[in-house]
Amino acid sequence: MLYMMNDRLIRLACRLIICVLTIGPTGLLATTRPAEGSLKIGWSSTDITPQKPVLIAGQFHARLSESVMDPLYATVLALESGQGGKTTRTILVGCDLIGIPDGMRDASNLRDRVRELVVGKAPELTGTDITLNGSHTHTAPLSSAEDVNDIYGVPLEMISSGKPVMSPKDYMEFAAQRIAEGVVKAWKNRKPGGISFGLSKAVLGHNRLQVDKTGKSLMYGNTSRPEFSHIEGYEDHNLNLIYTWDQAGKLTGVVVNAAVPSQVTESMYQISADYWNETRALLREELGKELYVLPQVSAAGDQSPHLMWETKAEERMQKLMGIGNEGVGRSSLARRRQLARYVTDGVKAILPYMKANIDWNPVLSQKTETVRLSRRLLGEKDLEDARKEIAEWQPKYEKMLAEARANPEMTKKPRWYTNITIANTRFRRGQSVLERYELEKKSAKLGVELKVIRIGDMAIASNPFELYLDYGIQMKVKSPAVQTFIVQLTGAGTYLPTQRSINGGAYGAVPASTLFGPEAGNELVEKTVSMLKELW
Amino acid sequence: MIRIFTLFLTFLSAGAIASNLYVGRSSVDITPKLPVAVTGQFHLRIAKEAETPLTANILVIETREGSVSEDLAVMVSCDVLYIPTDVIKLVRDEVAKRVKGLDISKIVLNATHTHTAPVLREGEYAIPKNGVTQVQEYRKFFAEKIADGISAAWNQREEAGVAWGLSYAVVGYNRRVAYSDGTSGMSSKTDLPEFRNLEGPEDHDINTLFFWNKSGQLIAMVIGVASPSQEVEGRAAVHADYWDAVRKEIHGKYGRQVCVLGWLGAAGDLTPHIRYRQAADDRMRELRKLNRLDELARRIVLAVDESYETVKNDRHNTLPLVHKTERLTLPERLVTERDYLAAKASVEMAKSKIEADPKEADKLYRRMTWEGETLRRYERQQKERQPGYDMELHVIRLGDVAICTNEFELFSDFGIRMQARSKALQTFVVQLAGSPEWGSYLPTEKAVKGGAYSAVIHSCRIGPEGGQVLVDRTVELLDELWK
Repeated sequence: MLYMMNDRLIRLACRLIICVLTIGPTGLLATTRPAEGSLKIGWSSTDITPQKPVLIAGQFHARLSESVMDPLYATVLALESGQGGKTTRTILVGCDLIGIPDGMRDASNLRDRVRELVVGKAPELTGTDITLNGSHTHTAPLSSAEDVNDIYGVPLEMISSGKPVMSPKDYMEFAAQRIAEGVVKAWKNRKPGGISFGLSKAVLGHNRLQVDKTGKSLMYGNTSRPEFSHIEGYEDHNLNLIYTWDQAGKLTGVVVNAAVPSQVTESMYQISADYWNETRALLREELGKELYVLPQVSAAGDQSPHLMWETKAEERMQKLMGIGNEGVGRSSLARRRQLARYVTDGVKAILPYMKANIDWNPVLSQKTETVRLSRRLLGEKDLEDARKEIAEWQPKYEKMLAEARANPEMTKKPRWYTNITIANTRFRRGQSVLERYELEKKSAKLGVELKVIRIGDMAIASNPFELYLDYGIQMKVKSPAVQTFIVQLTGAGTYLPTQRSINGGAYGAVPASTLFGPEAGNELVEKTVSMLKELW
Repeated sequence: MIRIFTLFLTFLSAGAIASNLYVGRSSVDITPKLPVAVTGQFHLRIAKEAETPLTANILVIETREGSVSEDLAVMVSCDVLYIPTDVIKLVRDEVAKRVKGLDISKIVLNATHTHTAPVLREGEYAIPKNGVTQVQEYRKFFAEKIADGISAAWNQREEAGVAWGLSYAVVGYNRRVAYSDGTSGMSSKTDLPEFRNLEGPEDHDINTLFFWNKSGQLIAMVIGVASPSQEVEGRAAVHADYWDAVRKEIHGKYGRQVCVLGWLGAAGDLTPHIRYRQAADDRMRELRKLNRLDELARRIVLAVDESYETVKNDRHNTLPLVHKTERLTLPERLVTERDYLAAKASVEMAKSKIEADPKEADKLYRRMTWEGETLRRYERQQKERQPGYDMELHVIRLGDVAICTNEFELFSDFGIRMQARSKALQTFVVQLAGSPEWGSYLPTEKAVKGGAYSAVIHSCRIGPEGGQVLVDRTVELLDELWK
């Protein structure tokens, strides 16, 4: 009511913005056509769908894929710009995967393997020029160097009942080879082009943490309980968009950055890119068959595409929209199509302004650093909880395993392994807390790779986490850029929760789900912002 | 035109009896005679110009079985900051003079919360006695105009159909900024190292109701937005804020005959002002060559268009309408001795400054009366065992949709609690449907802990405890409508 901005200040700010818009950082008009040494752009899209059944990542229990609903892709955008005798090359890869193994959680490292393969074929590139991110689909293969027995407590042959399958290790190599081919292809494809960036709106993600009147948080749960008090955190309904253009002014691709993981149909036993499948299809239908679409997830550790209230009203809207032939609701294809509609509307809403404001010669610079962040230090209570979890679940797991070994017929039933792998995961989560407690005594910090990129007046800041939204907002408010894209899951992903979420104690904030805590969150924000400032 | 009153996708038909729908609507100009004092800031502002008209938009909804009226709701959306409860009585009394057979207790007035509309409560500001429209004068004008409008809408009732829809637009932003030391600020800075998070959520739902007459012509729409209408809140002018731009755009697209009612959802902690990454948002707006009011209107109308296209064939002309009202006693937030002493010192200081220099009243008088209310509340609470405030509560079932009102600037968490627990397919929460005083915030516990303007004692007659009573009783009453 009271706190208004002074009119004069608003007018001054508007004038400044107009000035920036018109002139840009290089002093050239935004729509000036390419000059020598200006921006080059290359795109590719590579199918990374496994060719045999695989284990699907994303739930406590193992899931052996039973079919492919829709293909998985790695979409690559390669940018190169030479200015002032310095050439910058940066490559963004959006993958329909849950995350990008990077050695943070175990020995699995898809990121470095891709880089190694690419640099072998294109030695002018360095590994850190390449940034991979996962869309966080929960229906893509598990990529891991670990043995399945170590992950799920049951050998892969037993899960698959001896049928031919692709192991997580083999899939990781398959994906690395395919993604590397895609990167090289996009790199070789690069041609002079232009870029524009903009901010649109779409209500896609919702905060999934529900707080009851005692202050305890739950991930999901039921908001119609009388004990429900409020939603724990914030939501971000911004759609950050990059558009690329060829020399003739034709739209070639779009980077879509939204604070929502791709997990509408997250429980399926079918391989799927989730709502990105429908989104790519709709964008291509409405903006051109050859359009490239690169998905990025902004800070969204506490977000999901699931509605927390007014679900009935939304289901009705899905029916009325005529997209619910196979059913509507939380985990339906209708919901995927609805999100696709919202993204497409958001992309189209600002398209005319983007076309009129192409930058053919933006500043391109980047910085990569491995930063040592404070681990979340565990206490006695955490250990006690972990011991309880082990005591409860280890015997259950061992009993179920013994029964399965004694009765091989059991393992012929579809999805027989569900309960045993849940028990194993629960037991191993407890164990991992005890192991981390020991590790923390020797090393209180852990290195993670951070990358920041400047393209004209906008910035991209990436991190390997499922980053709670508050941290993303903190980065954006302190960033020197006009618009800042946060890209999470450029690594293996571990939740990075806020203090209020730890106080609430929901799934994403408990010790077993988190290698890092608020201390690291604050370090991450400060470091990211300082790296961004160096680019300005 | 072909009559297209289809009935499909009926979500809940249990409970109330379906009857034929009749609707009347009207729109009246409530722009004041100038100059006039406008309300919403602590300092006195005298408007010499009306940059847009102010309107009251009126919808009469009735169901009939044969020629017998089954139930009724008269909804009036007003371009004002808030509607003092005694003004509601004035309106009802004027209606009773003009219309026979209308149950005036079924009249619901709500404010869009524009901060550039006339003062409606006496004694708030030190308004010059001459050369400026007096509060008493505007109250009378307001009540008579709206009563005329209700009378016109009542007389125009005709067979109608309705459809409801849900879509999204980013209009309201949470304005409470939480810092590392546990305090919160209202509309304070985010680009500080100690900034941690926005204190609460946002609600980007756009809830809509569309009404057609029997010829199939769209005659009215309700747009529910969880954002107060205060984009140009600091101007010393009369202005309907973003609702003016919304109505213009709706009239351009759907015709001048459409009466547009703006319902303000639970939005005590929300505003249309952007709290972070403003440069990126402003850049997009500048590229569109729009001012901020037109940008907000653009977002809302896009959402309306989307809903309209989706639900326009899901019309209902026979449906249940049940409208219940009750006086709900909410426990008051207690003024502590410390609050009292601090307010007393502040009031006395303001008084002495005004005595020394009467011109100081322009800056200090409203703050003084705001804190003065706290003194009176404290003194009264010392004599009462369980101080309570009687609020007028309306709950309405219209087909599968629920509508519930409250008198406050209700923090969005409370609205979400109501919506989450409601058995209705879709629930419209309407805040500021009559208020006891200026700045009747109803904050959450986390806001009270964080402090800041909208959660301090002077701004809140009711506290978190009363908020929960409001939620529980609203849900209970709504449940009864679905039995």
